[in-house]
Amino acid sequence: MSERIFGAFLLLLSVGGIFVGWDLKAPISYEPVGPRAFPLLVFSLLGVCALGLILTRREATEWAPSPVLLRVGAMFLTVLAYALLFDKLGFVISTALMSVPLARFFGGTWRQAMLAGTGLGVLLFLFFDRLLDVVLPVGYWLKPLLG
Amino acid sequence: MEILSHLLDGFAVAGTPTNLLICLIGAFLGTIIGMLPGLGPINGVAILLPIAYAMRLPPESALILLAAVYSGCEFGGRISAILINVPGDAGAVMTTLDGYPMAKNGLAGPALSISAVASFTGAIVATVGIVAFAPLLANWALAFGPAEYFALMVLALSCLGGLVGDSLLKAMVGVLIGLMIACVGIDANSGVYRFTFDLLHLSDGIPFIVVVIGLFAVSELMLMLQSHHGSTTPVEVTGRTMFNMQEFMLAKWTILRSSVVGFFVGVLPGAGASIASAMTYSMERRMAGKDHCFGEGDVRGVAAPEAANNASAYGSLIPMLTLGVPGSGTTAVMIGALTLYNITPGPTLFQDQPGIVWGLIASLAICSVMLVLMNIPLVKLFVKFLQIPNWVLVPGVAAVSMVGVYAVHGTTFDLIVGTLLGGFGYLLRVMNFPMAPFILGFVLGDMMEQNLRRALSISNGELNILFSSPISIGLWVAAIAMLVGPRLAKAIEMRRQRPAVI
Repeated sequence: MSERIFGAFLLLLSVGGIFVGWDLKAPISYEPVGPRAFPLLVFSLLGVCALGLILTRREATEWAPSPVLLRVGAMFLTVLAYALLFDKLGFVISTALMSVPLARFFGGTWRQAMLAGTGLGVLLFLFFDRLLDVVLPVGYWLKPLLG
Repeated sequence: MEILSHLLDGFAVAGTPTNLLICLIGAFLGTIIGMLPGLGPINGVAILLPIAYAMRLPPESALILLAAVYSGCEFGGRISAILINVPGDAGAVMTTLDGYPMAKNGLAGPALSISAVASFTGAIVATVGIVAFAPLLANWALAFGPAEYFALMVLALSCLGGLVGDSLLKAMVGVLIGLMIACVGIDANSGVYRFTFDLLHLSDGIPFIVVVIGLFAVSELMLMLQSHHGSTTPVEVTGRTMFNMQEFMLAKWTILRSSVVGFFVGVLPGAGASIASAMTYSMERRMAGKDHCFGEGDVRGVAAPEAANNASAYGSLIPMLTLGVPGSGTTAVMIGALTLYNITPGPTLFQDQPGIVWGLIASLAICSVMLVLMNIPLVKLFVKFLQIPNWVLVPGVAAVSMVGVYAVHGTTFDLIVGTLLGGFGYLLRVMNFPMAPFILGFVLGDMMEQNLRRALSISNGELNILFSSPISIGLWVAAIAMLVGPRLAKAIEMRRQRPAVI
């Protein structure tokens, strides 16, 4: 069932892609195949495959039991929040904040989670930013303090 | 003679102190990444690539680092396969069959050391193979025009469709989604903005690293949480750590045979380490006749897959270096590394960038020596890393992945796109869509379109040019054979077995 839903989603995507791609035209063209052909080819093949997914029978996908799925979803949201705040809070704080729930999901105690969070935040910052010269955000809150 | 002098130049590149150090670090990190279940060569290479780029390593050093990690992973996968019965990477699946029983019987040490020697032999055989065949293939491929290139890429993609996963349809969907993502951004020929929806950040397309880390690192962590059942304790390594003469004599031909077979399987696009190790394992089992204990701890059952998976990992570098067409997910990521440095992979690489190519080849040899020297005496140290609890490991990997994505452009936008792709990748993987076609489609998308358009420009829009030269006809036929062949063989096999069952 889930593959059929996914197939329907892909079908919508390919129709949308063809719809958007139809208007792609080069203002001045000096080659027989313009910028439109390849995307349209890809999207129409995708549409055919999506129909295939909808119409054929296959073994049902085994989803994890719902409590596990809920945790996976929560983890996804945590990482998404991490991505959003990475720049704003700075690497150290955002990493510490992200690590605590992740460590808890993987069976760490609160104490271990706090430890992992602060440890990873500080050590990875020192390792990348100071040792390897990979520039990491310090965050808006620290910038004025550092001048 | 010419090859020898190139090879010496390569050793000069790979032998500088910095590059030797990079090789050592890569090999060490690779072993750990390969050993940890869940993280494989593709994640390792994907996570380290942006960091190497951000550290402003020169291209040859970056490639050496990635190759070292790649071969380290193939060495590391066997440790967890033998000690905790969980393959550290896809190539080590077969190693669990005999490795874990050996460890249970108190032979963990010999199992680890014979498999290290097997991996080393596989790596060296494959390195010799690369030196022998890669320049020839590159020379031949110089004659390829855009039409041949287009057919070649179709062949590479259809090899994946034929060999990877259970369903052709799913592999095709993966390829097409990859091609679709590759279409986003400014069209290089006409300057038209395609599918950017007026978002400034999308005008250069979605960066390669963002896609790779999202698909392979973020979704991997989600899968790890899904299958998380607390920790497993590895079997203690006690007794002797080296194999004895008798075990070696039993396995020596197995190791050589498996190395050669593994190498040739690796050269084929699409067929990677997992297929090579499965093939050689069953081959050796059949050849052993009655006198074996495969499945209960036979040395040969450990040696065969390990030799094969290292040889095939190196073999898969051949299509990447000579044709610019990757044959596996990991080499696809390495192609991405080249393009990040504005180096166009392809047959001209051997002429334009001999330092990079031969440096890489030489570093493969150096790396394998380092790995075998490291792996036998230090195995107890590596086992310590297996005990890193997931509550440190997972947040750590998440943070390092984000650092990698951030290193490219330093925008929140990329981080969010990467995470969203990770969620999408998780759904795809749970529904059993293979990921290798996806990433290959994404990497090849741009090259495919460019070559198609170039070919059609030459012929002024006539499609016939795609099927006109003997080489391209051969490639099309091979592509169809790769799609149909394995399925046909399976169907015949099924038909043959059915009467026997009834």
